[in-house]
Order: sequence, then C-alpha cells, then structure tokens
Amino acid sequence: MSEHFRAFSFVDRIVSDNPGKEIVGEYHIPDTLENFSPSLVAESIGQCAAMSSMAAVDFCFRPVAGIAGEVRFCGRVSPGDTLQLHAELVKSDQEAVGYHGKALVDGEPVVKLLNCLGPMVPMDDFDDSEAVRARYKLLLERGADPDAFTGVPVIEFKISRLVSGSELEGRFVIPVEAAFFGDHFARRPVFPGTLLMDLNLRFLSSLIDTLDGGPWGVEGMRDVKLRSFMPPGEELSLSGKLENIEGDRATILVQSRRGKRLNSSARVQLIRTPR
Amino acid sequence: MSTEISQEDIDAIYPQVAEIVADALGCDEEEVKPNSSLIKDLDAESIDFLDIVFRLEQEFKVKIPRGKAMEEARGELSEEEFEQGGVVTQAGLEKIKAYLTEVPVERISDPLKSAEIPKLFTTETFCKMVLRETKG
Repeated sequence: MSEHFRAFSFVDRIVSDNPGKEIVGEYHIPDTLENFSPSLVAESIGQCAAMSSMAAVDFCFRPVAGIAGEVRFCGRVSPGDTLQLHAELVKSDQEAVGYHGKALVDGEPVVKLLNCLGPMVPMDDFDDSEAVRARYKLLLERGADPDAFTGVPVIEFKISRLVSGSELEGRFVIPVEAAFFGDHFARRPVFPGTLLMDLNLRFLSSLIDTLDGGPWGVEGMRDVKLRSFMPPGEELSLSGKLENIEGDRATILVQSRRGKRLNSSARVQLIRTPR
Repeated sequence: MSTEISQEDIDAIYPQVAEIVADALGCDEEEVKPNSSLIKDLDAESIDFLDIVFRLEQEFKVKIPRGKAMEEARGELSEEEFEQGGVVTQAGLEKIKAYLTEVPVERISDPLKSAEIPKLFTTETFCKMVLRETKG
C-alpha cells in the first residue's frame, strides 16, 4: 500500500479555508497509537497551514520546514483526541509561507506556533501536484478516512559526553528506510524537522535531569531553524548547552551538525516544576 | 517625498534592522556592523536571508520580493548584458558597484560569479532594501 497521505499526514479534514489567509482543520489521533508527541501536533498545525499556502499558489509550490519563532507546549494530547487546527497566514506567495497557528483539544490549546516561516519549493520536485490538489479537495469536501497513521519509529541516539548541569553531546543516524519517507515527501524523502524536534527533546532529557534547582519541564522552544534538508541515512551530531537559568526558567541551546556545518538550532525553554 | 536614500534615512532605521539581523542570526547586536557581510562575517545562509526579509517585511510593513535587489542593480541591462555563463560581465560589475555603494569596492571580486552576489550584502544593504520599498 502506498504511504502517500498515510504515513506522515496529520490533517483529516479542512473545515474552512481562505487560501493564503486562514485555514481551520481537524485531525483525529488514532486510538490505536500508544502516544502522539507534541512535536507531531506541531507538524499537524504546519501541514494545515501548508494546505492553505499550496492552494494559494495553485499547487505549483509547496512549503518545507524552515523556522519556528516560538513553539509553546500548553497541554497534553492522547490517542483518541481530535485536534482542532487553526492557522493564520501572514505571508503566502511563491517564496514563503509565514504563519501563526494552534491546535486545540475540546477548545483548550495544546500547542501554539508563533512566527513560523517555511520556504516554498517547486511542488514537482517533491510531490505530485495533481495528487496534492486532489488531496486538498478531498479534505475540503468529504474528509479523509481517519486512522491511516500507525506511528513513527523511535529514532535512537548515542550520548558521547555529558557535563552535568552544563553540556551534552551525541549523535544519531537518520534511518535509510522508514514508512514516513513515502509521505515526506513522495518524490524526495526528507527527514521531517518535527521528528528532529522530538529527538532533540528526548536527547536533552539527560542534561535537563542534571540541571540545578530542578525538576525542570519543557515549556516550549524558540528560534527553531532548519538550515538544510536531511536525507535518509545521514549521520548528524547533536549538542545541548545550558544558556541560562533565571528564576523559574532556563534555556538550553540545542544544535545538530553535519560534520562541522550547522544543520539546525533551537532554544529549548524550561520551567521549574513542582516536586 | 524624495525617493533618494540619504545616510540620514539609513541611520534612522539602522538600529531596528541591526536588531532584526542579530535576532535572526542568533548573535549579539554588537557583532552586527553596518558593513558586516552577512554571509562572510556573520555566517548567514539562505534560510537566514529569508528569515531577515520576513522579519523586515513584518516590522516595516513592506514587501521585499526575492530577486528585487538584483533586478534593480541590473537596471536597464538585459540579463545577457549583466551576466554570461553565471559570471557577471564588466558592465554588470559597474552596475553592482554603483548599486551596492555600501560594499567596499575591494570586496567585489573580478570575475564575480552571480551566485556569489548575496555574499556582498551587508546590514546596510538590507536598510536600503527597506527604504527603497517604503519610499516607493
């Protein structure tokens, strides 16, 4: 069975769309999953915004992950929840899509995205424009069959150095094969930025556990920037470094590199949590 | 309103532009100078240019189309007169020197690959991009 629109697609229905301006959608998290990470909720919001931006340029271009000014994790989601997705597009043309967005469960926000920016790339280099157009029409008119997503593999990493309360280094290898590559993207497999976000948060947990004054919880991320595509099979190094602790908040800079070249960066915002 | 860009105009918006450049590149504002080459001095990449332009558009309520600077630099020259085989012609070089007056001449190599033109862009170049749009 084709993985296109199944293995890494997180919008079931478009409730309304004013292309290039504002879109409202839904995604039902399959009951059969064990969990659904906040990073995938962020992916769901981004995909909803992407649909509107692609419709605005007649599906000749599609956005790819680039920048998230701020990601706020405000609530938990569970399998069986239905995400209500909202995105307001502040820029939408053949060059880039800029948007703010949020996902709600039962009217309460669970993830918010602020000041996101995705470069637009030629659709035909990454996907089948007619298939994407048909998908948009399906989501808008009838909605897709739910529960197509069956989960993503846990990407393992190795820690090579930990300086308690200060720094962490490690590395990971992007799988050569995974079902999500068949959907992200159909013509050019790329490791999704939101899976890197999820991996970063798991990677940092060993450092977070050693910070003074804990326990600490992840409140969100800011200055998230992906500088280049990550193809299957690539090895990347990871680093985390405490930038500051001020009162009840702390910030860790997390980066990935291909060799010496910076591939991605983000600041993870922590909040002191009650024991 | 005059469409000429004066040093006074540049000075007026420079602090905001420098702050945006520093925020986008994640560096200290003190590292950002008017004549800093964003690529060579501040390690900017293409995604950073997109980020900076987006932030400038939001801050100054203008639209800065991709490639607009090069189109303006080229002026009345045709594409063939401006570059051949990916290399800027002599006539093109003169146009670039006249357009990017904020870039020290010694930084403009000869020959110059057209793909390397963005390496010349300085913080002041972005000030001028904003001013050209706000002044119409």
